[in-house]
Amino acid sequence: MSETYNIEKVKERISHIEDILASVAAGDMDARVNSETEDDLSGIEAAIDLLIDDLTDELKQREKMQKEVEDKLIKIQEQQKTIFQQQADLMELSSPVSKVWDNTLILPVIGTLDSQRTQIMMENLLEKIVETGCTISILDITGVPTVDTQVANHLLKTVTSARLLGAECIISGISPAIAQTIVHLGIDLSSIKTKATLQDAMIYAMKQNKLSENVKLQTLFTNPDENED
Amino acid sequence: MNTELHEKRIPIIKIGNFLIVSIQVDMHDKLAIQLQSQILEEIEKTGAKGVLIDISVLEMVDSFIGRMLSGMASMASIMDAAVVIVGMQPAVAITLVELGLEMPGVDTALNMEKGMEMLERRIKDEDYELY
Repeated sequence: MSETYNIEKVKERISHIEDILASVAAGDMDARVNSETEDDLSGIEAAIDLLIDDLTDELKQREKMQKEVEDKLIKIQEQQKTIFQQQADLMELSSPVSKVWDNTLILPVIGTLDSQRTQIMMENLLEKIVETGCTISILDITGVPTVDTQVANHLLKTVTSARLLGAECIISGISPAIAQTIVHLGIDLSSIKTKATLQDAMIYAMKQNKLSENVKLQTLFTNPDENED
Repeated sequence: MNTELHEKRIPIIKIGNFLIVSIQVDMHDKLAIQLQSQILEEIEKTGAKGVLIDISVLEMVDSFIGRMLSGMASMASIMDAAVVIVGMQPAVAITLVELGLEMPGVDTALNMEKGMEMLERRIKDEDYELY
């Protein structure tokens, strides 16, 4: 009689343990067996409680670390976004082409030039030349501290491409350091019109404009019979 | 083959002292060579003093066409006609420069109007030398 009672009780306790384990598995980390009686089974129950404790600790730690990693990842992603944004901004800011006078465009360059930037500058300038129909453009490199071979080459290419489009490109504001570098690198800039300052370049551009305007007026007002030969 | 090329001939229009050539189809090598001789013949026939070649529609110019254009300019200049290439697109200009075809000695203009002015100015200059 007492044995059956014991078995009943043992069964009850085992099912209690099962319930607890099930709820732990389901995610309830506060569930404990918490047996009050002292017998053979209580050791197992205590061990299970300990295991659950350990598991809870581990899980908490893992969660904490995961959160930390996620936070860091978000931070890095944000930083990367900022970097990309700034790069795009820099590219946009770095090559403003503005029309300053009739028939005259100015591209002031400030800061160090790299190949990518010069490439974008060149494209912008050429697009703008076609868009506005200006035949004189001034590339002002007063704000450029140094150039290397590639960049000098790109500048040359810009001027040559502008000429192919039918526009003249003047480079102004070449600093002593850049002049030295260019000559030392053996780059021939003799085919390119260079002016000391932006002011000189502007004066040259205006003179050039006046010249072509005069010719235009002359052609307009001459007798058409004269032209026919 | 000949008739096929004949159909695709690029028209050369004479206005005053100038010839106007507007390239509006994609150039292939044979067409380019044909155009070259066609223009030179026309210069001889009409005694034109200037040739305006409008390439504003050309999206792509390869090294052959580029060389043909600059060659045509020097050929025409020894026949006493100035060649002005008009309306080159930025991408084309960049390509040509990257290819090393900087076309020295070839005059260029942004559009037909400016090219025409350029030629008129040149003829005017030559006239002044006379009187």
